[in-house]
Amino acid sequence: MKRGHQDILHGGGGWYAVAPEMERGKRKTTMGAAEEGGDVDELLAALGYKVRSSEMADVAHKLEQLEMAMVSSAATNDDALLSHLASDTVHYNPSDLITWVDNILSELNAPPPPLPTPQSLPSADAYDLEPLPALPAPATPLVLGSDPQSEVAPSPRDRKRMKVCSSPPSSSTTTDAATSAAAALPVVVVDSQEAGIRLVHALLAGAEAVQQDNLKAADALVKQISLLATSQGGAMRKVAGYFAEALARRIYRPQPRGGVGCCSFDSVAFDDMLHMHFYESCPFLKFAHFTANQAILEAFAGCRRVHVVDFGMRQGMQWPALLQALALRPGGPPSFRLTGIGPPQPDNSDALQEVGWKLAQLAESIRVDFRYRGFVAASLADLEPYMLLDQDADGGGGGKDEEPEVVAVNSVFELHRLLARPGALEKVLGTVRAVRPRIVTVVEQEANHNGGTFQERFTEALHYYSTMFDSLEGGAAAAGADDGGPDQALSEMYLGRQICNVVACEGAERTERHETLAQWRGRMDRAGFEPVPIGSNAFKQASMLLALFAGGDGYRVEEKDGCLTLGWHTRPLIATSAWRVAAPAEDPLSALAAR
Amino acid sequence: MAGSNEVNANESKMVVPLNTWVLISNFKLAYNMLRRPDGTFDRHLAEFLDRKVPANATPVNGVVSFDVLIDRPNNLLARIYRPAPSTASAAPLLTDLYRAPSSDPFPVIIFFHGGSFAHSSSNSAIYDSLCRRFVSLCGAVVVSVNYRRAPDHKYPCAYDDGWAALKWASGEPWLRSGKDAKLRVFLAGDSSGGNIAHHVALRAAESGIEVAGNVLLNAMFGGNCRTESEKRLDGKYFVTIQDRDWYWKAYLPEGADRDHPACNPFGPKGVKLEGLPFTKSLVIVAGLDLVQDWQLAYADGLKKAGHFVKLVYREQATIGFYLLPNTNHFYQVMEEIKNFVGSNLL
Repeated sequence: MKRGHQDILHGGGGWYAVAPEMERGKRKTTMGAAEEGGDVDELLAALGYKVRSSEMADVAHKLEQLEMAMVSSAATNDDALLSHLASDTVHYNPSDLITWVDNILSELNAPPPPLPTPQSLPSADAYDLEPLPALPAPATPLVLGSDPQSEVAPSPRDRKRMKVCSSPPSSSTTTDAATSAAAALPVVVVDSQEAGIRLVHALLAGAEAVQQDNLKAADALVKQISLLATSQGGAMRKVAGYFAEALARRIYRPQPRGGVGCCSFDSVAFDDMLHMHFYESCPFLKFAHFTANQAILEAFAGCRRVHVVDFGMRQGMQWPALLQALALRPGGPPSFRLTGIGPPQPDNSDALQEVGWKLAQLAESIRVDFRYRGFVAASLADLEPYMLLDQDADGGGGGKDEEPEVVAVNSVFELHRLLARPGALEKVLGTVRAVRPRIVTVVEQEANHNGGTFQERFTEALHYYSTMFDSLEGGAAAAGADDGGPDQALSEMYLGRQICNVVACEGAERTERHETLAQWRGRMDRAGFEPVPIGSNAFKQASMLLALFAGGDGYRVEEKDGCLTLGWHTRPLIATSAWRVAAPAEDPLSALAAR
Repeated sequence: MAGSNEVNANESKMVVPLNTWVLISNFKLAYNMLRRPDGTFDRHLAEFLDRKVPANATPVNGVVSFDVLIDRPNNLLARIYRPAPSTASAAPLLTDLYRAPSSDPFPVIIFFHGGSFAHSSSNSAIYDSLCRRFVSLCGAVVVSVNYRRAPDHKYPCAYDDGWAALKWASGEPWLRSGKDAKLRVFLAGDSSGGNIAHHVALRAAESGIEVAGNVLLNAMFGGNCRTESEKRLDGKYFVTIQDRDWYWKAYLPEGADRDHPACNPFGPKGVKLEGLPFTKSLVIVAGLDLVQDWQLAYADGLKKAGHFVKLVYREQATIGFYLLPNTNHFYQVMEEIKNFVGSNLL
């Protein structure tokens, strides 16, 4: 039976039809968790642990088993077990206690993996991604970190990951998390001086005035803000400046149409240039690329033909590192196909092709079989599945033994733009499902800049970008510089354009519609995807990457329900998550088709 | 370890609710994986496993929280918890957050989270929950200090950070209350946090800063000799002598032993407290905590030095009883804390 993406299978978990008009309804769970008994224990849930009351005794029993194993190893003075558990085992999703314990127990009890053929056994090094600078850089790769990791054959890990996802909590808890998380307002105050507080107060009052359509008061406040801002230093002054400017735009141009200020259709090249400076001056994009690549690398383990679809190709800075890691795989690299999507270039230059060409040169120098195709699309919603599927599959090479290509779809700060037009996200996620990706990596800003009233949006954005700007300052300060030079200034401009869009634009032009991880979870779940947890190895390597970064001290990596966030101090600012098409656990046919 | 493992599991299971047992056992086993025999600590895995929550300026059960950077060079953060400002229905303005919650005297509780000097943070879920409760319980502003931890940062870093927080609080006008516009500050902490509270209070007494009271919850103290309670309870209720030793070694200076005054304030190397304006103390001891003899000796030492101590001894309580609101221990101890703070809010 050929399964198209329109099919619906009813079963424990149930497929979801892709067509947006299908009502998701109240049924939410991806893996039949709702059918099984029990609510989660509320007291533990409040502390970040999801354990069903009906499973409590089971979890306790497993903890006892784990302890016995640890104690007996200590008794025989065998530190190897404990150190194995700590440094070699990859931990996933600690909130899901029963699965966490199960994973560790299975590490202890797992039979030795079947003797693999050289091609299918990735070693520890394959999972070490070195942080590479932007193109071009075919240098000798550094191997990040010296901790040996045990060899893990792909299938036990996959089974583990399947188990991880088949366990509760989710859907109902996810929804609750979404509603309450949408209302959460994390505030980090780095400058508690009187003047700074008055400045913030004036900004918020300005937003309130705009909300109430009191444009005269708003105008007066904008002037006051500019005055107050001049007495400030550092991050606060700059942030205030951008927000004041954005407020002014909103006041004086209530319906911006094309060609106006921050929402104008600037040159894509300028945008890419700002993006590159942002990449250089702070670790957010590096973290995004690194963590997404880690998930993709693990998903590609043992595969001979792989295909990455990049929803925001730009200068392709994410891909040299992945190519290098694949080149270093024992048994050799897979053949690698890359599809890069980019916006139309007003000057008719073919930036997409140029990037592909540079990557091809790199690939050749490290002997990775590489194919590239660039697609120009004004919106991701213009993509159709046939554009992404392997059209050469039946053609040259291959033959009947040819493996189907394994697909990864990668989106760094692209999905939120689709929320500006109803139905666009659903269409895109439908297209993604249709290419049956092994993994979908998503990086988004960890903020709600898309909900509630204008005033609420403004308040959220103010706190978010204040923290962002402070991190840029902090990075420069830690590097011992008075300021971060042109990189920092251009990065601030990059962020400033986002601020302007969030504050001054509406409707289809307001494309910076950031939403929180909890909200994205809900959207991905409704579109038929289930989470693929990102583990402690990626966490550790990302943390170590940050330590290499000047000003790394203030940056924090956190694990949240299988996703990783990067924040400044205690405020998460961006989140990386990984997904795959949801499948009912018991249905072997769909499990196969999902691969 | 004394006794067979099965016996131990059964014993501890009998004295705490099952979900508490699961929570604390989970910590115990995870922490076992983090402590390396060579004295190093797997900080990355520790941070990965720790469940954290963000600050939230939107009121939840009448409490809001926000993070402040107290000391930039050390990246010293603290999470402030306070009653929701009365003006705010939705998101309070920053100015509201920085306004005193009341013109009547209110307590400021500087809280030091536990974790044996090595674990947890001020944004750990277990401590976020506890601090929120203190706000509701006492009408307090709680300052939860994200102090530097061992073994990355040894003695006296944690105390220095605690002191920095106290000095910071002293400089915040909105934390003062009453007709005399005074900072009515309490120092509180559990486990290592209790130990930090003592040492910061000591520094305060030596420096003439007035502290209204200390609240020590299962405070972490020790010494070279093995007390009777340590021997009797070793390994029985989630804690072992071995792990205590490891944490002290991680925190104390190289070459120091457990009679170092940080660990053993009333031991042979302890500082004399007689004559110092040391604050009043509420010392809460769990009867199944293996370090109780040290905690009782601490209370005794305070008394002998002429300082006020209220001792609350919960016979059948284990460590961590205050993390989940599911026992009498929890509610009755919270009541004790409320009364202590209320009656010392001069």
